[in-house]
Amino acid sequence: MNKRLYLELENCIGCRSCLAACTQCGGHDERNRNYVYDVNPLVNTQTMPLMCLHCVNPACARSCPAQAIQIHETGAVLSALVEKCIGCQNCTIACPYGIPKFDTEQNLMYKCDLCIDRSKDGIPPMCASVCPTNTLQWLTDEEIERKQKQFNVKNDKWVTSIHLENETNVRVNLPGILQGITKLY
Amino acid sequence: MQMDNFKNPRDHFFKEVENLNHPNEELVKTHCSYCAMQCGMYLRVNTKTNKIIGVEPRYDWPVTLGKMCPKGVTAYQQVNHQDRILRPLIRDDQSLKGTKEGFREASWEEAYDLIVKKFKGLQENYGKDSLSVYGGVSMTNEKCYLTGKFARVGLQTRYIDYNGRYCMSSAAGGLNRSLGVDRGSTIPWTDIHETDCLFIAGSNTAECHPTSMFRIWAVQERGGYLIIADPRETPIARRADVHLDLRPGTDLALANGILHLLIKNGHVDEEFVKNHTNGFEEMKQVVEEFTPELTSEITGVAKEKIIRAAELYGKAPNAIVLFARGIEQQIKGVDNVSAYVNMSLVTGNIGRPKAGVATITGQGNGQGGREHGQKADALPGYRKIANPEHVKYVSSVWGIEPEEMPKEGVSAYEMFGLMEQKTIRGLYLLCSNPAVSSPNLNYVHQQLKNLDFMVCVDFYLSESAEFADVVLPTTTWAEDEGTTTNVEGRTIKINQAQKPLGESKPDWQIQVELSERLGRGKYFSHLKTARDINDEFRLASKGGYADYYGATWEKIDKQDGVFWPCKDEKDPGTPHMFLDKKFYHPDGKAKLFALPYRPSAEEPDQEYPLRLTTGRVVYHYLSGNQTRRIKFLRDMCPDPFVEVHPETAAKYNISHEESVRLFSRRGEAIYKVKITEAIRKDTVFVPYSWGHEQSINLLTIGALDPISRMPEFKACAAQIEKIDMKKVK
Ligand code: SF4
Ligand code: SF4
Repeated sequence: MNKRLYLELENCIGCRSCLAACTQCGGHDERNRNYVYDVNPLVNTQTMPLMCLHCVNPACARSCPAQAIQIHETGAVLSALVEKCIGCQNCTIACPYGIPKFDTEQNLMYKCDLCIDRSKDGIPPMCASVCPTNTLQWLTDEEIERKQKQFNVKNDKWVTSIHLENETNVRVNLPGILQGITKLY
Repeated sequence: MQMDNFKNPRDHFFKEVENLNHPNEELVKTHCSYCAMQCGMYLRVNTKTNKIIGVEPRYDWPVTLGKMCPKGVTAYQQVNHQDRILRPLIRDDQSLKGTKEGFREASWEEAYDLIVKKFKGLQENYGKDSLSVYGGVSMTNEKCYLTGKFARVGLQTRYIDYNGRYCMSSAAGGLNRSLGVDRGSTIPWTDIHETDCLFIAGSNTAECHPTSMFRIWAVQERGGYLIIADPRETPIARRADVHLDLRPGTDLALANGILHLLIKNGHVDEEFVKNHTNGFEEMKQVVEEFTPELTSEITGVAKEKIIRAAELYGKAPNAIVLFARGIEQQIKGVDNVSAYVNMSLVTGNIGRPKAGVATITGQGNGQGGREHGQKADALPGYRKIANPEHVKYVSSVWGIEPEEMPKEGVSAYEMFGLMEQKTIRGLYLLCSNPAVSSPNLNYVHQQLKNLDFMVCVDFYLSESAEFADVVLPTTTWAEDEGTTTNVEGRTIKINQAQKPLGESKPDWQIQVELSERLGRGKYFSHLKTARDINDEFRLASKGGYADYYGATWEKIDKQDGVFWPCKDEKDPGTPHMFLDKKFYHPDGKAKLFALPYRPSAEEPDQEYPLRLTTGRVVYHYLSGNQTRRIKFLRDMCPDPFVEVHPETAAKYNISHEESVRLFSRRGEAIYKVKITEAIRKDTVFVPYSWGHEQSINLLTIGALDPISRMPEFKACAAQIEKIDMKKVK
């Protein structure tokens, strides 16, 4: 069954286990490819992960003059092909979130590939496997739809990728999941 | 319950996921080495080199479902780390004690010979009790059990205690006297997300037990409530329905204040109190005066928040109270624990699913390790050394005469006092790093230096090893097998994934070999494997209230763990405690305690106006001896810091990232300032996982709880001084 990465930003505790786990995916050369930001440093402990959203029509791939960024049949936007990447860093500039990272020594871009050797077989990527808070989840479309209904409040708090750059394979739920909840008592 | 098909419950979070299996790799099923969440994991082992090369989530572990914090993800990197001690080390020049210098490699035989000669010499000259053992609970039940036997039968000394004294002793004391039994959690963790109100006191759960968080958030997603009592707005407090931001050290007043309101609002379960508890009237009298006004005055928490919290907890159909070191590491830690247990008793929120109380145990085997005889006053199965019947039973298992059983010893911190008086002259230290984790470190370091002879068993050269004459290399958790007992009271299995590195040996083997050389082989030589020890230890626990007799390795594997008590082959164990409403006191009732408030040992004053509290960050575990060596964790948090509220910082004219001098009556250290609004204005916080001049425990106080002998790590008085850069230059 097709599954997607789904983010509930409100849950994040900033443990950066997702980054540690990213280094542990066999295909990742022990370098993490995502980001966790302190949202209000000096004020509170709020954090949020910034993951590649695997755009359906990805700006990084479009901007690549060497066609080094391939899109997997699952929709995952892969890391640059070593033999094709010319190290121009167009992709990093083109990506609205600055996701692609750059290895100056190898003159090579690297980015999240959704742990393709796992996710192609339906195994959750490392980040979503370990995330202790369910900020990062690996869900079927039906499960995501249920989530959307559950959190679909009239105050525009549910935000899917439609409001971001363009259509994305990763679904994001911006802070606000608790606003629509009816309290038990 | 039918044993044959019993399996501990899986909940709706559980998903069948196949693991990724790389070619030429084997996945070894085990659990994390660090905290008591004991997250399930597989270690990836290269089948050609037989070396551990990575980690794979264990989706099928019902408690944590593959989830891990960054410590767990990188835990395997301890095993083949360049800092591993591979051969025994001896230091001949005693003047170098307290430094890393002067060690030379030696053979096991030479190291053993030296230890035997020194230990025998000390005992001949100064008596059996001149030796001491200081253990730890980041090791298996088998090792914890044998360490108790090693001290009392191998070395024949009364002086044994362990690092749980700094961790779980107040919880143990409070639960024992309130409920008659100290099983840290009365419920399995798979109940947590199904409760309606969680009251969490003194636990930075998001950083210290991160893999509890998906269950905790789920309470709120279901419409339930989350109440947090913590001086800081930790990541979990940030999302709480009510955050009770109390002054460190005032938990007892807060709990009494909530009890006052529960009674006043009619939220007492009269039936339950009448049938299953003693002491209500006395307790009621004491909490009478803890009006919201008085409670607010003592704790510094706004009155409205206290009222709201009491209302939410009182109205909840099912409620769970969780607490941790924040309330326990105080001179009234035991009272704090009993006060929070009072809350669940008066509302009848205990002894049924989805309702209960739990201490969130710190160390990996903090639960099992305190039950099987490493404690100064305890014998296996949570028996008491002061009880002749208990001594008789354990003596019979050990094959000694009851008269040979040494008497009760003293607590961990008090052992340093005996070192000062030269009552204790020799130390066998294992699985612990008291040169970082003890309070009042300037004093503790002095006592370690004063020892005539010290052995340290570790796999890295810890700050404590720097005081040793002999360092023995032991194995990491992944190079041995055995059981641990997790935060829930569930016994689980740790498996060996790699052969011991270099010449390192598991702790139990070292203790057997040393006992043999001390002429005590007949009590130890039959223990040739961890499994042999497990068999003996289950027997030794039999009939005690922490009864593991029926918790065999096979059953653990089959049922996804075994909750104690588990009395025999047929018994599947006890996930929920007190379902029959029988508590473990002789009359079957729980005790409500009347607990008058008293201040901390050292309240802030003009000279030291700030309240200093300590704790952890998510990247480091306890004294940091392991995690500070792991690159990812070190990169994320290389140094300690002092958290200061912006208004307080303005008063001291200090800014973010500036280095300041923090000092107390006992010591000082220099830290970079971290400005945050997520802390009280009267409080500063420093994480404790660093050694040497970075240790915040240079400043903390050695005042002890009268019952648990737990030091008051969580509250002392301190002052900040701006560093005059002109003078430094
Ligand atoms: S693992 Fe989850 S909770 Fe931790 S930083 Fe990443 S997204 Fe946040
Ligand atoms: S340190 Fe604790 S929470 Fe983190 S992975 Fe290990 S057992 Fe789990």
